[in-house]
Amino acid sequence: MMSECESTDIIMTARDLTLRRDRMTLLDSVSVQIRRGSITLLLGHNGAGKTLLLNALHGLIACDSGAVSGPPLARQKMVFQKPIITRRTTGGHLRFLCPDLDDMAILDWLRSADMDRRATAPARMLSGGEQQKLALIGALAAKPDILFLDEPTAHLDFAATKFVETMVRQAHKNGTTIVMTSHNRAQAERLGEDVLLLDSGRIVEAAPADRFFSAPSHPLARQYLDHL
Amino acid sequence: MDILSPFQIALSLLAAGDAELMAIIGLSLTVSLTAVLASLVIGLPMGALLATYRFPGRTALIVVSNTFLGMPPVVIGLLIYLLISRSGPLGFMGILYTPAAMMLAQTVLVLPISIALSRQAFESLNGEYAPLFQSLGLGRLDRIRALVFEARVALLTIALACFGRAISEVGAVMIVGGNIRHSTRVMTTSIALATSMGELAFAMALGIVLLLVALTINIASQLLRHSFRNLGHDV
Repeated sequence: MMSECESTDIIMTARDLTLRRDRMTLLDSVSVQIRRGSITLLLGHNGAGKTLLLNALHGLIACDSGAVSGPPLARQKMVFQKPIITRRTTGGHLRFLCPDLDDMAILDWLRSADMDRRATAPARMLSGGEQQKLALIGALAAKPDILFLDEPTAHLDFAATKFVETMVRQAHKNGTTIVMTSHNRAQAERLGEDVLLLDSGRIVEAAPADRFFSAPSHPLARQYLDHL
Repeated sequence: MDILSPFQIALSLLAAGDAELMAIIGLSLTVSLTAVLASLVIGLPMGALLATYRFPGRTALIVVSNTFLGMPPVVIGLLIYLLISRSGPLGFMGILYTPAAMMLAQTVLVLPISIALSRQAFESLNGEYAPLFQSLGLGRLDRIRALVFEARVALLTIALACFGRAISEVGAVMIVGGNIRHSTRVMTTSIALATSMGELAFAMALGIVLLLVALTINIASQLLRHSFRNLGHDV
């Protein structure tokens, strides 16, 4: 994750990422290292730059300066905060996300999300929670090396949140590196191994999750946790 | 003119299956549908390209295409006439006063509609899907292919708009087709001819037949639109 971590098995490194728009610095010399096989939580208030950093790491936005090195794009997947769902059937959408899946595999993945009976329904007619689950299994079905999740449980009910967390844990167990944002402290404590706290486009604290939540060192981190 | 007589004539013409009328309807449909197909084949990829990529000359292409949207059909007919007349640069093709010339004129007429409307549809969809396409690492061709599939309902509407413009057009096909009986006479030129000869009821009856043909095409497209639901489109 970061320099404080002992592990040398780093899957992704970002150096001095800086992004400016309309005279505002949105990312300010951000440098991070993501440990292979870890679950890294990006925390911070709204507008701190979490989604931007996630997009920059995944290569969706080009920064003004800095560099990211990691697995090729084909080995990375991202689940957006608001899932982008095509005008296809549920099964058709899954096939679009993972063209290599055969019919049986598609049904198996849908069954894993208890959505196999919706295979032929228009994917855009699914509920918000079902769409998020569909986006998640679409990403996991590709067995990526690294998975980016942008607030994957925002607006989800308890059951859907539990499903997402179970799938994230399963993927983590299978060796997928997870980088996710969250506003949910309980979830962050449940899932997180490493934490990066962002404020105004800068990383103000990078620490193992247990230490971050029990003894944050930066005043902004303490302030953030007080408000969480 | 009795207001009901055009309807009676229209119905009797259709019921009798008048051979000449059927040939005229057939030619009208052949010319217009071919022009629509050609305009979609050329226009959709151009619309997709204009919507998804920035390249030198893109704005000029959009401006020219939009300008042609408002071009009067007779002017387009005149341009095509100058191109394909014996002394024109395409005169060697010898297609003046043939259905091929009419197809060419109507294609030029509806191509700007196909480009402008598809660009708009693709632009909107591309804005929605761009992060997903980028995340999936789709190449240029795959993106356009996916956009065309995602825009299928909008494209059907575009095809209908093109068809409406093509089938109802008279000026261009009159100039390059010549309204020759049993050869290049279509619904609209027949109506123009009947009107000029004072056969107003007959002209009106032909107009009603033309509307019925358009109605049939629209019903068929509506059925097709509903079948898209089976492919997952939220129509």
